[in-house]
Amino acid sequence: MGRQIAHRLLISIPALVGVLFLCFCLMQVVPADPAMIIAGPDAKKETIDAIRKDLGLDRPIPIQFIEYIVRVVQGDLGRSIISNKKVIEELSQTIGPTVELMLGAMLLAVPIGMSLGTLAAVKRGSVVDRIIMAFSVAGVSMPVFFIGLILIQYVGFKWALLPFTGRTGPVWAGGLPSLILPAVTLGAVLIGPISRLTRTAVLEVLGADFVRTARAKGLRETVVIVHHALRNALIPVVTLIGLQAAFLLGGAVVTETMFAWPGVGRLAVGAIVSSDFPTAQGAIMILAMAFLLINLLVDVLYVFLDPRVQRG
Amino acid sequence: MTVATAAELPAEPAARDTTQRAHVLRRLFRDKVAFCAAIVLTLVGLSAIFAPVVAPHDPYLTDLSKVMQPPDLFDADKWSAKGPRHWFGTDNTGRDILSRVIYGARNTLLMGLCGVLIGGMLGGLLGILAAYYRKADGYIMRVVDIMLAFPALLIGLALAAIFGAGLTAVLIALVVSDIPGVARVARGSAMGVMGQEYMEAGRAVGVSDFTLIWRYLTLNCISTIFVYLTLRFGQTILIGSALGFLGMGAQPPVAELGMMAAQGRDFLFMAPHIATIPSLAIFVIVLAANLLGDALRDVLDPRLQT
Repeated sequence: MGRQIAHRLLISIPALVGVLFLCFCLMQVVPADPAMIIAGPDAKKETIDAIRKDLGLDRPIPIQFIEYIVRVVQGDLGRSIISNKKVIEELSQTIGPTVELMLGAMLLAVPIGMSLGTLAAVKRGSVVDRIIMAFSVAGVSMPVFFIGLILIQYVGFKWALLPFTGRTGPVWAGGLPSLILPAVTLGAVLIGPISRLTRTAVLEVLGADFVRTARAKGLRETVVIVHHALRNALIPVVTLIGLQAAFLLGGAVVTETMFAWPGVGRLAVGAIVSSDFPTAQGAIMILAMAFLLINLLVDVLYVFLDPRVQRG
Repeated sequence: MTVATAAELPAEPAARDTTQRAHVLRRLFRDKVAFCAAIVLTLVGLSAIFAPVVAPHDPYLTDLSKVMQPPDLFDADKWSAKGPRHWFGTDNTGRDILSRVIYGARNTLLMGLCGVLIGGMLGGLLGILAAYYRKADGYIMRVVDIMLAFPALLIGLALAAIFGAGLTAVLIALVVSDIPGVARVARGSAMGVMGQEYMEAGRAVGVSDFTLIWRYLTLNCISTIFVYLTLRFGQTILIGSALGFLGMGAQPPVAELGMMAAQGRDFLFMAPHIATIPSLAIFVIVLAANLLGDALRDVLDPRLQT
């Protein structure tokens, strides 16, 4: 098992380098020359060259890339052009709320989605199945912001039940009410795909020999479904939930922007709109790395869940 | 003589093609849901193509005397009244929302279609080449894996940061995001074809690489790729409109559904229809595309079950 996890870690390195390279390119193609900005508009050519040398901008691109990686590893992501704060500080303040939002959404979506999917599979072909599947196709087709707009309009504004802008604090410090609407918005888009995937996975398992054996042994139907079918169906479901990570991440960016949630996604969007390149680059890098990490975790979990998994 | 017959083998289905296609269509339209979805998509598509003819008003014409009018559609008294109608109401600058939705759907559909088609072609090519040239397989799929490491929305954000917000950034993001999935599906399907005897036969009689790849491999994989792309179409539109909503896509005054929803957000409490109607339009388009894609998969390629 250790070997498999190590192997998985190794093959995620090219992707990590890819992420870093994209972020590095982001800094390269930025229209403004940093040396010229620092030197000011009337600076002599010699001054600009001196600053360029100082910043290491005169060296070959591959060397600059390696230096960039070294800086990233040291946590030096530059300073925000707008707030002049260190980008790494901005990121450390925003990563918590983003993780909180994603966890909240998953805590909501995974149990609901999986129970709906299992129910639909067990009652295959019935009205219940049809309703659940119609609901999940609708969910898959719904833009994230549509759900958000409706929740803000009704729950937040008309009925004034819950706050819908900003974050009042961490969950343990009374921040739960402000988390609910964003988490429901983000979770709602995940329920559809999860229930669909669970249904397919459970249906496949229900046809397996060991389920027939379990039934033949005279086990109660609930035990057969929960212990034998659902447990085995978990394996594909976990991987597929991992594939939803892109969905989750993209949805989080939109949700944060809508609800003024102080997370990394909102930071990235704000930085891009205001041409704050260092911040945008840092935020995009963190989001891409988060995505890699989620996929890595899912793969590791997969090894734990399914002892049959062979390397490669 | 032998050469000719061997080369004609995989092309032979062409003769059956029309009857097969009719058969697929018949099976597809026996499914009432798929039939309705096809009709909705056709109507939306036609109104998008003929937007200048269909739209009742100029989508860019502002009229400050008619700001934020609620939709006439919900007001039965106005149905028979004379004068110009605003079935979906007007927005914060008095522009007719129905006309803007029609023009917006045009841009949104075009965006999704270009993303899926270009991404599908590039991804399909990569996948098929990977299956055909076994030596390149590892490299190609490694690149595909790296591309898979970037969620589409992030690519969109990064590109918007580099090139500035606009339809180009969104389009490239959509293409890039569609490539890896298509490449994998195409490779999987092409690998199956590679194992067929007629591939070996074609090679044995000295058919050129190009012919083998195009006539033997690609034409045999195309229905799988097509089904996958139909399934991707809805997702592509969703990503594109999310980028539009974030302000990374089309810039005002150009109408694009996601961006229109974002603009309406500022007036959500005074005139909820400004944001809701474009969002609803996206929902209807994507839903129809997904339902049709599902039905098409069931008929053409049940193995693609997700």
